[in-house]
Amino acid sequence: MKSSHASPALGLDVGTSRIVVARPQGANQDAPAYESQLNAFVSIPYSKITAAALDREKVPHTLGAQEIIVHGNESEKFAGLLNAEIRRPMNRGVLDPKEPDSLKMIREILVRMLGASTPESGKKVCFTVPAAPLGAEDSLTYHEATLKQMLTELGYEPASINEGLAVVYGELESSNYTGIGISCGGGLCNVCLAYLSVPVISFSIPKAGDYIDLSAAQVTGERANRIRLAKEDSFHFNGFFADKVQQVISVYYDDMILTLVSALKNAFAATSNLPKFNRPIPIVLSGGTALPAGFRERFEKLLWEQDFPIKVSEIRLAENPLYSTAKGALTCALSDL
Amino acid sequence: MEVPSRKPTHAPWLDLRAHKIIDPVERLRFLRQEMQGLEAEEGPRPRERFRLPERGLLYAGVVCVMGVLAALWPSGTTQASVGNPPTRKAAPKTPPDLDRAGLAKPAAKVWQVDRSESLETYSNGLRIDLTFRVSHHARDRYPVFPLNGSSTAVRYGTAPVGIVFHTTESQVAPFDEDQNQRLKRLGRNLLEVIRQNRSYHYIIDRFGRVYRVVEESDIANHSGNSVWADASGIYVNLNSSFLAVAFEAQTGATEEVTAAQVAAARMLTEMLRSRYSISAADCVTHAQVSVNPDNMHIGAHTDWASAFPFAALGLPDNYSAPPASLYAFGFEYDSAFLNRIGERWKGLNAADSQMAAEAGSEGLPVARYRGILQHRYKDILGTMKIWEQQAEGGG
Repeated sequence: MKSSHASPALGLDVGTSRIVVARPQGANQDAPAYESQLNAFVSIPYSKITAAALDREKVPHTLGAQEIIVHGNESEKFAGLLNAEIRRPMNRGVLDPKEPDSLKMIREILVRMLGASTPESGKKVCFTVPAAPLGAEDSLTYHEATLKQMLTELGYEPASINEGLAVVYGELESSNYTGIGISCGGGLCNVCLAYLSVPVISFSIPKAGDYIDLSAAQVTGERANRIRLAKEDSFHFNGFFADKVQQVISVYYDDMILTLVSALKNAFAATSNLPKFNRPIPIVLSGGTALPAGFRERFEKLLWEQDFPIKVSEIRLAENPLYSTAKGALTCALSDL
Repeated sequence: MEVPSRKPTHAPWLDLRAHKIIDPVERLRFLRQEMQGLEAEEGPRPRERFRLPERGLLYAGVVCVMGVLAALWPSGTTQASVGNPPTRKAAPKTPPDLDRAGLAKPAAKVWQVDRSESLETYSNGLRIDLTFRVSHHARDRYPVFPLNGSSTAVRYGTAPVGIVFHTTESQVAPFDEDQNQRLKRLGRNLLEVIRQNRSYHYIIDRFGRVYRVVEESDIANHSGNSVWADASGIYVNLNSSFLAVAFEAQTGATEEVTAAQVAAARMLTEMLRSRYSISAADCVTHAQVSVNPDNMHIGAHTDWASAFPFAALGLPDNYSAPPASLYAFGFEYDSAFLNRIGERWKGLNAADSQMAAEAGSEGLPVARYRGILQHRYKDILGTMKIWEQQAEGGG
């Protein structure tokens, strides 16, 4: 179990596929320390030998009556070994109501990553929540309240931050936190337009990494988990694909990016409340789904093809796409102190 | 698709200040606190915070200081020249508005009671329909020019300082029950056009329904070439500095405005005066402020050139206020204008007297003095053109 190392505050990115915690490192708040765990678990049949082996190897797990649940990063290896799909506590950015163990598992992962707050450690935690999907009712209340309750029970003072806004806080200091932050994660792509730190428009689209994995899995007959590994390990946008899996992934990636770009255009065009920007604003892309080489260029090309209603100064990839949301959450938490 | 959004206060000066803060956390803390503070004010623009609540006191103070300065100034004659208008006699150019009863009185407090997506309700009974509202160029800061001398702005305002009342001069139907459908259709079509052209902030239809069209935080295209002044300074081209309230009406038509429109206009005026601390002296009609720079005549537009129901709106008779276009910038008027307005405004006489007195004190013929003032206006107009282009270009 980790302690909070006397951090004055913590940033917590609770994503569909990963949970990332950001802690300040000494006086250098620009370069926090990060810890990341898969927000996933896999159950394996119980045996004393297996339990002992997991203890010996210090693999995070929970013992049940009939099963052992391995969670976090190790779950992926065990899923591969057992040829089983990993299970997720969350789906499309929020706690999965169809997963009976979602609360228990996410609590386990949080406890292992954060530990309980102690008198000498910081108490402020800023955690990310997604924005409501475009055109859908706000269904985030339960998710946000549950996470808040969990963190409160651990002794923290939790505060939530919109995921897209966290990207803005993490990456757009140079433009005084004015611009568009986009987090392309597992379950959702979250978007936030902010003006001088104030969120103006926030929304999400339900097409993201999982959509690509599941869609490609259906077409190829592969497991979604294998598609994800192929996507993360070797996929890139260059027009040439070594195999069918890569080609199929590219089709669904394009579909996701096009949906995102169209949603951006339509949302901003439909908003009458846009502030007056004194200059073109930046767009920053982050999240694991934005990692493949060529993603930024592909996004930029599709955006330029649209008649985008806001003048854009640059489109760039976050300095560290996997951690920028947690970094922004930490910056927010520190600014609240 | 309606996307939920919020419009933060436009605060370009915060942008500049924040850039001086190196630490990212400190910078974020600063911006969040400042922006929260601005939003908490709900309505008045940021610089309003530093405004004295009793604007009349401010006016009185300005007048006193100007009077003292004028008394202490050396009595020799200043050589006036084109481009450098006389600056010696400061006090006479103060609009004599303050002499008129009631102008310095602050507006009664009116507050918002309820708000939904489509309706705002206020404590004085005002109800504002929001279904036609639209945004336009955000009101940034606008220049305020000195009452005397320089063509350079003495300060910049950010909040609406006054109200210009208009008539839409649109087609109107007789105000009869059997014309109900037509009245409604004409009103709706008018709103669509006003919305498309971003012409006014508010429209009051024949039934006295108040519609917000252009957001108060934005500029409306209501008074292109225009001039007005108060004790704080001169405002040129009032789109940025004044709010626009238009009556659905046609000048000269029977039942030019309805009782319901007048009642609604009173409540709307009370609310706007309360929200922005607007002086009664700055609630004027389009005809009073409109100018034509091409022929240097006032009254390019003559809506509400007469018969504006000042008293019914709780305002003093502002037709007796001298138009700043005349005494500060040397504009003129002709017989056609006088025919149009019917009863001669008392303010025209006051402005003529003021012009003659100032020219005399400078030892100049009125025509020569007028030329100097007109030259000053042209200088300011040049500045304003650049300013407006920058504002529209988002620069």
